[in-house]
Amino acid sequence: MSELSQEVVRVEDIVKDFRPGLGLKKKRVLHGISFSVRRGEIFGFVGPNGAGKTTTLKILMGLIFATSGKASILGHDIGESSFRRHIGYLPEGPYFYDYLTGREFLRFYAKLCGVPRAQIAERVTNLLEAVGLAHAGDERLRNYSKGMLQRIGIGQALVHDPQVLFLDEPMSGLDPIGRKEIRDLIWQFRDRGKTIFMTTHILSDVEMLCDSVAIIVKGKIQYQGAPKDFLKNERHSAEIVFAGLEKSIQAQIAERFQASVRDSDEHSQFGVAEDQVDDVLRALLEKGAQVVSVTPRRATLEMIFLNAVQEGGR
Amino acid sequence: MTEATAHEGQIEAASNGGLVRVLGSIATIAGNTVREAIRSRVLYLFLVFAVIMIGAGVLVSTLSYVDRPRILQDVGFAAVRLFGVAIAIFVGIGLVHKEVERRTIYTILSKPISRSVFLLGKYFGLVATVWLITFVMALAFVAVSRAAGAPVTLVHYAAFGLSAMELGLVTAIAIFFSTFTSPMFASLFSVGIYLAGHLSRDLRDLGAASESETFKIFGAWAHRLLPDLEGFNLTTHAVYGIPVTFPDVAYPVLYAMGYSAIILIAAMLTFEKRDFR
Repeated sequence: MSELSQEVVRVEDIVKDFRPGLGLKKKRVLHGISFSVRRGEIFGFVGPNGAGKTTTLKILMGLIFATSGKASILGHDIGESSFRRHIGYLPEGPYFYDYLTGREFLRFYAKLCGVPRAQIAERVTNLLEAVGLAHAGDERLRNYSKGMLQRIGIGQALVHDPQVLFLDEPMSGLDPIGRKEIRDLIWQFRDRGKTIFMTTHILSDVEMLCDSVAIIVKGKIQYQGAPKDFLKNERHSAEIVFAGLEKSIQAQIAERFQASVRDSDEHSQFGVAEDQVDDVLRALLEKGAQVVSVTPRRATLEMIFLNAVQEGGR
Repeated sequence: MTEATAHEGQIEAASNGGLVRVLGSIATIAGNTVREAIRSRVLYLFLVFAVIMIGAGVLVSTLSYVDRPRILQDVGFAAVRLFGVAIAIFVGIGLVHKEVERRTIYTILSKPISRSVFLLGKYFGLVATVWLITFVMALAFVAVSRAAGAPVTLVHYAAFGLSAMELGLVTAIAIFFSTFTSPMFASLFSVGIYLAGHLSRDLRDLGAASESETFKIFGAWAHRLLPDLEGFNLTTHAVYGIPVTFPDVAYPVLYAMGYSAIILIAAMLTFEKRDFR
């Protein structure tokens, strides 16, 4: 299979301007972003609040229109609507029709997706089972908990057995059990050879779930690739906590080793590269400092994320 | 063939009906809209007040020594039309706005249906709801009239029929405004157009009688552009036993369908371009 046909989602140089209020002045929220998602992967679209994640997803779902640029899903331009029978979408914090029961709700979406009438009842029952809501199928959605709503939402997105699933912040507002349940559903879906595109700002979920990520900050893509590759390239570091050193001497050592410094009332703290720990400790002890602790710090996605946010902010 | 591709093939086959599929989607959304409306308390509140007002016609008519049945039916028709319009405008705008506000529209538009199909489904669902309510109110009207000994003729039924057509047109106007503005403005504009629509004949006649050429042109154009809603009013004919001809009924029906179609096309064009932020 060619590299291109492996691409399920392709975004090329998308720009989006909004006009806040009635003014003529435009605000650019996406600055020409490009990325792609490959078949069969769990793709994490990561960024802080207001970075442009939901805007990008809404453009892909045809809910808002890009100012310029191109995007395609499964090889079809996003302006078309027929390919949408191969995709499922769960918006962030959805409400859904709370006057419907779970079963009525799924039946409604199955009809809209063109699931053959004869199969709807069986399909809905199977789906309720799959998302763990078989017991609540005949209850109205207004009585569902947040976790149950999120699960019926995923059911709605899966009702026509799509190829690609788009999830906007699927874990937000859920308790640890709810998050685990959603994670399990995502894994199950991937195991069946499907592709998942999820936006999130919860980095532990990204580390646990995603095969590939793109980090977006202030409407620009800062990184794209596998989370493991980022972690490999990131320098490992350590934190040294010490006391009993004059500020001027402390500053000299920090400058010599390019250490980051954080002071509190009782202690000072240096952040240094892992290969410099011995030298820094020696220097501190020579000057009479009392070393309290040395803690190795593994580079986490969080650190990369924070760096990206800081870089994006510059 | 794997299970997945077989399933996909069935969906393709079911989806390729073209017009049948579009009509099916419109019917699904319309059905859901009716279900939402009849499961909401607001609608019943309106309906209860309407029935109370129709019944109150009996009390009001006792204040008079003459023409009691006419007063009773005047009040009854007023109640049916007032509450019909209130439901068409406020419930209609509320239901469309709620879809966007609560983001339920996001999941629907991510499915293989166009925005225009969604809007048409919403429209026909609302019209069905408004007609259902009109039907219930008409039943109450007939029951109260019969109980009070007031006559109910074919013209009465024609008057209800034209009221229903008028409400279809008003619903289209309410939907049009709710595609691009807030519920408050959409309600204000819709009520404004409704009131102006009932005055459009007067504006034309005043213009025609005026010596000012500008006012003449203004009156003529206001009548052409605004919906001519007084044409749907057969209640005076019904109450006073004035005979009604076939064109008196057929023309407003065609007018309502044509006017509503134009407004709905404008609504669809606006809705297709809207950003759901």
